[in-house]
Amino acid sequence: MDNVNFIRQALLLAVLATPLAGALLTAMIGARIAGLLAAVHVGLTALLVLFAVGAVGERGEAGPHRAGLRVSAAQTFRPTSVPGDPGISGLQDSESHGTTWGLLALGPKSPAGVPDPEVQFFVGVDGLNVWLVALTSIMTLVAVLISTGRVKDRPAAYFAWLFALQAAVTGAFLSFDIVLFYVFFELTLVPAFFLIGNWGPGRGRRDAAKLFFLYTLFGSLFTLVGLIGVVLANPTPLHPTSATPKVSYGVVINAGGQLQLPVEGPLTFSIPHLMRNASTWGLVRVARCDFAEGKLAEATARLADADARLAAGPATPDLELQASAAAAARIVAADDLRTASADRARGRRLQIWLFLLLMAGFAVKTPILPFHTWLPTTYSEAPIAVTMILAAVLSKLGTYGILRLVLPLVPDAATEYGLEVFGVLGAVGIVYGAFCAFGQRDLRLLAAYSSVSHLGLLVMALFAFNTEGLAGASLHMVNHGLATGAMFALLGFLEVRHGTLDMSRYGGLIGRYPGFAFLFLLVCLANVGLPFLNNFVSEMLILAGLFDPSVVVPYGYGLAVAASSGIFLSAWYTFTMIRRVLFGPTIVPPLRDGVAPGLALPEALGYLIPAALCVVLGLFPQPVLDSIKGDTAALAQQADFARFRQKRETSTRLHQPESSPPLGTLAPEARGGPPAPP
Amino acid sequence: MKSLSLVHQEFLTTAYRFVLPETVLLGTACLLFVLAVTVPRRAVAVGVGLVGVLGAAVVAALVGVERFQHVLGWQELSLFWGTVEGTPYYPRALSPFDPTGPAAFVRWLVLASAALFALLAYAEARDDNACEYVACLLVAAAGTSLVGRANDLVTLFLSLELLSIPTYVLLYLPARSREGQEAAVKYFLLSVLSSAVMLFGFSYLYGLTGTTNLGAIVDTLNDAHKMQVGPMALVAVVLVIAGLGFRLTLVPFHFYAPDVYEGGPTGVIAQLAFVPKVAGFVALARVLGMLYPPLDQLPFDANGTLIPMTLWILAAVSMTFGNAFALLQSNLKRMLAYSGIAHAGYMLIGFVVASTLPDVPNGQVPSQIGLDSVLFYLVAYGLMTVGAFAVLVHLAGGDHPVETVDDLAGLAKTHPVAAGALAVCLFSLLGLPLTAGFAGKLLLFVGAFDAPTTGSLRAMARVLAVIAAVNSAVGAVYYLRLIGVMSLRSPLKVAETSRGKAALAVALICATATLALGVYPKPLADAARAAVPLKDAGR
Repeated sequence: MDNVNFIRQALLLAVLATPLAGALLTAMIGARIAGLLAAVHVGLTALLVLFAVGAVGERGEAGPHRAGLRVSAAQTFRPTSVPGDPGISGLQDSESHGTTWGLLALGPKSPAGVPDPEVQFFVGVDGLNVWLVALTSIMTLVAVLISTGRVKDRPAAYFAWLFALQAAVTGAFLSFDIVLFYVFFELTLVPAFFLIGNWGPGRGRRDAAKLFFLYTLFGSLFTLVGLIGVVLANPTPLHPTSATPKVSYGVVINAGGQLQLPVEGPLTFSIPHLMRNASTWGLVRVARCDFAEGKLAEATARLADADARLAAGPATPDLELQASAAAAARIVAADDLRTASADRARGRRLQIWLFLLLMAGFAVKTPILPFHTWLPTTYSEAPIAVTMILAAVLSKLGTYGILRLVLPLVPDAATEYGLEVFGVLGAVGIVYGAFCAFGQRDLRLLAAYSSVSHLGLLVMALFAFNTEGLAGASLHMVNHGLATGAMFALLGFLEVRHGTLDMSRYGGLIGRYPGFAFLFLLVCLANVGLPFLNNFVSEMLILAGLFDPSVVVPYGYGLAVAASSGIFLSAWYTFTMIRRVLFGPTIVPPLRDGVAPGLALPEALGYLIPAALCVVLGLFPQPVLDSIKGDTAALAQQADFARFRQKRETSTRLHQPESSPPLGTLAPEARGGPPAPP
Repeated sequence: MKSLSLVHQEFLTTAYRFVLPETVLLGTACLLFVLAVTVPRRAVAVGVGLVGVLGAAVVAALVGVERFQHVLGWQELSLFWGTVEGTPYYPRALSPFDPTGPAAFVRWLVLASAALFALLAYAEARDDNACEYVACLLVAAAGTSLVGRANDLVTLFLSLELLSIPTYVLLYLPARSREGQEAAVKYFLLSVLSSAVMLFGFSYLYGLTGTTNLGAIVDTLNDAHKMQVGPMALVAVVLVIAGLGFRLTLVPFHFYAPDVYEGGPTGVIAQLAFVPKVAGFVALARVLGMLYPPLDQLPFDANGTLIPMTLWILAAVSMTFGNAFALLQSNLKRMLAYSGIAHAGYMLIGFVVASTLPDVPNGQVPSQIGLDSVLFYLVAYGLMTVGAFAVLVHLAGGDHPVETVDDLAGLAKTHPVAAGALAVCLFSLLGLPLTAGFAGKLLLFVGAFDAPTTGSLRAMARVLAVIAAVNSAVGAVYYLRLIGVMSLRSPLKVAETSRGKAALAVALICATATLALGVYPKPLADAARAAVPLKDAGR
């Protein structure tokens, strides 16, 4: 058991379980161990990242290049370090990228080789989530550091809830089972509710907590319905003729020249399986249409041939019989085609509904523009460390949900309507958020709206749904988390000392707090997207993704222009704010009672760590990008398949006879005659 | 070959073998009635009651063991669906009890809940009425357990009455206030009325088929309905649904619930909120023929009748009304009453799904069969509702009544343990993950989405699931209000010493079980699936 897989699996479980244990320990022992626990967790996560990135990175190297995608088999997520991984044919040191740990069976066990219809405890790391887990760990440490000694009311409970929140978020990031993901996703609400409601600074904290909980819950219940729909729409495809049930990801043409579609097998809740099944069922529908189309063309040719012979010579009964048989065969073929395309249309319609249902929860969580109304209240009523976690980590749950669930599981709807609907909403959000940020007097709300604005960019990048966009979005999730988190942490510095974040009450801080001013300036510049700071890299990748000719539709450039304008606007409001707060005559409100203006070491670390990481990721983004590559390629392939299907569909829609074939070409006997028995 | 009457007689004379644990419960109850005169002590009553439940559990475990079944002269349970050896007669159409299907599941559920209710009785009863209290409780438990296995209209009706009559006594026993007496009388009158309505329906079923055996009735109606659905059969089943709807607190038969819940003693209400629902749902499944494999046909399926549609409407209306009215309540027990109405609506989804079973293609095992999710949800609902009431019993000590939402203010500071247990129960009622309530809702929703859409009901089951999802969100508003009041507000009154450590223990057991089943629901889900017949089984 001393192989590397075992170590990785144990590390993964430790990363998931430590916050929970931390919550219990803090609640029992007291707040003073919180910093230690958070630091231990960062250490564990760092080990996991070190161990996992190797395995994840290999995949990026071996991953197919875009040119070869059409011929290669459907790619899917391949989580490593999965606890309970049985290994390939029982080998200990191999990975099957699945698990055997069941939680809730929804039917009898499947035969060997076919996934069981059960909800599993399926957690793992891959390129898309490993950095987000690291981000969560670091931001929790920062939250603990900047609240140490600042929470007067029941600090142990405060830190316990903070760790519980971390456990839920980490669980959601690590889940590869669709229900498990939802469980963790929903569980984040409970700690957040208590944190905001109990420890918020203002009078409106209770209403803010309830608003946050109910608004998010309302959205995510639709997501739950969507998730169930996705599971039921994508059962495991089984080989149609095989004697023993086995999984088959394609269609079979039998000896009689008939097309045989896969049979619907047991349900599965594993996201990698669902991703491949979604792709398979989509392709099967297209293949069925193509096949029926070919059959129709063949039958039409045969009919024309029979008609020609009938017209050329004297009409013998034999020839007439042939002609009528050919006509009947053509009717059957046309019928088949109609059924096949109706089936395909039904599949597409279903995907659109599922897409909207799934997006309901994620759009609220992110938030995407018209669903953002909970955000200003919540961000301004929560304790500042919790606001930091909300902005840096929890908002990523929404975008991560899009990345992990929406894009791979409803790819057709996501390629067709994603950019049209949510891309446009994202673009509007960029501009709207920027103007709102400009209008704020409260620094906290300014940062909140700036966060909304930057998240709009992220949403657009996700729905561009190509390699550059996805890589940029994955990296930007981490970068945005770091930069926004650092911003809120630094605002906490002011709030703790002076009890207000009203912009008009501050000025010339560079004279009073030079160290703070330096870090604040750095973080603001990172937010704006200055080269050599982290956001620059991901924003450039995102813009490249939006300008990609394969996704460019007439309004695509418009979206890219909106995105660029967002970067400009963010510079506008950020520099205005910097000028007012950092420069000019020194205006500082009086210190709160009993607060020392000096800086303790833990607090200083809390401000330094995220700011330093902004610089590090700005200078060396390549390791992150390398580990993301393999999984974004798999997702981009899903998108390419979806676009291919869409193209096939529009082309058949143009050529395909809508009603029955024109009767003029048929032999007189065949008109209105009964179709040949199949 | 044995004659029919001889076989029939054999079944009647050996029927006791199927109901031994229930007999133990009733015997204990009789003993308690005697003790009520001689040793009227609370501790004695609860102690004897718990011993009785334990004895019944031991007997129930023993009759589950194969060796003892041989001693009793049982045949294999699987033979219940075959024919009696050497004759062409079906046991299921002759026996007054059906030991298969949900019988064992309901029995264990009832025994476990009886133990919890006995503990609650310790917190609530006084010395002078404790023995009667516990005795009535055991009789009601025996009645519910019998409903789980009644295979005859007569046994079914008697079991249901065995549940109802002690409940009247229980409601009246501690009733010292006007409201309490009003609640008892209101429940009594309406319950008798509903029993009469149900009995009227039963008489039609008997008149149509000439037998009181439910297995025989279902078979006969199945055969008859292949040709045409008789209007009298529809009248009968509608009357039965109405009669049972009272026990299930389905809208529009719910109107007694808020008043009775508000006025009745809290510990009894905890029982009233849970036990009649178990009995009612199992009885409904029996009368609708959903427990009789091979389930190729149901006497009242969607293709021939509007009964599934009626259930659909009852479900949608119950959950919507229940949640909407619960939003307006400031009295805790009224709020829980409306919440119970809403949850009955959720559970009815399983029946709508089960009524689409004939449309499931043969040989294809559906992932969900509806009734198993109902059984799972019943357990989850029982845990969270009884847990919530147990907290109220625990808090209602001394001069500190806990009646309105405001009385809970700051509970997290004054009674942290009780508040924690109540919060878990409320989160479960709300349907938050890692609680049994979530697992139950998930099963119900998956079932509703997986129901075949080819029959006359089309996609209506899916629509119902969406309605339920919206309702869950509405329900979240009032549950969260309670949690917010408890944990975010500061206490209005000075903390008092509350009575009832036993009630707190019940609350903690319920909360722990809710969490445990939320984290690892597999064992219960498997047990529930094993408790309902699969399609094609028994062929």
